[in-house]
Amino acid sequence: MIILNEIIHILYFVLTGVICIFLIWNLFKRTKKTGWVYDIVYAYVIITFILRVLMIK
Amino acid sequence: MMKNTPVWFKALTLALIAIMGFIAGKEFYELRHYQESVVVSPAFTEKIMLSDYLPSLKGTWGDTPIYVFDSGVPGGSALILGGSHPYEPATMLAAYMIAENISVEKGKVYVAPVANRSANTLGMLGNAYPMFYHLETPFGTKQYKIGDRNTNPLDQWPDPFVYVHYPSGQNLAYQDLRNFNRTWPGKENGSLTERISYAFMELVRNEKIDIFVDFHEASLMYPVVDTYVAHDLSMDIAILAQMNLDTFKFPMKAEASPKKLRGLSHREVGDYSIDPELAKELYAAEEFTNAKNDYSEKLKIIEKSSHQTLVVLMETLEPFIERVAGRVDEDLMLIGFDEFIQTAADKRLLFAKYDTREGITMPIDIDGRGGYVVKGAPMYYRVARHMEGTLEVINMMNLLFPERELLITYPGFHDIMEAGTKKGNEAIGDFLHDPAKSDPKRVFFQ
Repeated sequence: MIILNEIIHILYFVLTGVICIFLIWNLFKRTKKTGWVYDIVYAYVIITFILRVLMIK
Repeated sequence: MMKNTPVWFKALTLALIAIMGFIAGKEFYELRHYQESVVVSPAFTEKIMLSDYLPSLKGTWGDTPIYVFDSGVPGGSALILGGSHPYEPATMLAAYMIAENISVEKGKVYVAPVANRSANTLGMLGNAYPMFYHLETPFGTKQYKIGDRNTNPLDQWPDPFVYVHYPSGQNLAYQDLRNFNRTWPGKENGSLTERISYAFMELVRNEKIDIFVDFHEASLMYPVVDTYVAHDLSMDIAILAQMNLDTFKFPMKAEASPKKLRGLSHREVGDYSIDPELAKELYAAEEFTNAKNDYSEKLKIIEKSSHQTLVVLMETLEPFIERVAGRVDEDLMLIGFDEFIQTAADKRLLFAKYDTREGITMPIDIDGRGGYVVKGAPMYYRVARHMEGTLEVINMMNLLFPERELLITYPGFHDIMEAGTKKGNEAIGDFLHDPAKSDPKRVFFQ
């Protein structure tokens, strides 16, 4: 049970990393909502994922 | 269609926000890794770790130091918990103060200043809470953390959709799986928070703890503020202590632990602090039979035990976590002045005595000490309440359960309040010791 908990815990961090990469890709390569406001929104959201992946917050 | 912005702009935006992230991240990192110092009293005998009672906690942020003060004279034993909810910092400071000043004549005392250490590695910065508070002492400024209510998600994540309490099966709010005071009596192979509770239960059962005191703070609109909450077995000592305190020292209430509100220390520690083999039987009975709905079924098992712990939870007032409070800053934490809470007090919406204008006058004790005027809810007053509240229930235990006699001394309500009335929170510093000038064997960082 503890191991299962740990696996799920780690999986969530991996998922966070994947979403983070996805958001960075979208910041540079997206074709819709291409305005500068969305650049800021993407960049801002990415930070929260980076802080979680680095186990800071 | 809007024109795509150039790559350099995107990179610049990301870089600028990364700098902001670095600044914020630095604070989060600092809060997680900051260590508080404690200089334990000469009565100290050993430091143990919670993982000694549940090895799966070793190396995790759930493992926490417990300081043991053993007189060597057979007698009663006490376990004192601070920091069950680290966003109630007077609980941890009171535990540190006890650890720094206690002397034990008879019996044994265990002090865990930060029961949920993981929750103390995370502040509530999203609520604009400050990360630290500071106390002036004769040896300089001391810094303490203001933690969170729940276990850090870095250590226990994700939360479930519904938290199903073990072993009762009662459904609780999802985030309460990280709430140390909703996971009692714990689960040996459960989540981190459940394992922390279970490890403390193992300590209580294996060391046959006679009295368990769990420190908390509460918002002033919460009816249980300034209150002892006592398990059935400890109701008499809590009521006697409450009457004594309310008459001679400070406003205090007492109430019985509800039988059907599950996961709280005052209920589960009382029920599960029985002989280890009976505890296993009780876990199974709750999990697989109707015992979870019928307390008399549980009692049949509990009453077979050769020993049961007296359990008391104590709440003191903390304006800082009051929902109607205005700006939550270090002053609110340390002094507790807030105009919105005062308005609530004027409208008689509070369950604690609170007055920032004239102050609340404390009763006079039989020895003539007392009569202090307390404005707001200063830290020294809240710490003094916890320390005296503990002494009082132990005194009552000695009276009603003489076979559990535990003789301890440390600065009480009057000692702290007399100094506090003159010097404010600086008085706390008079009861703390300089780590740089103390015996290194008695200095710990945690």
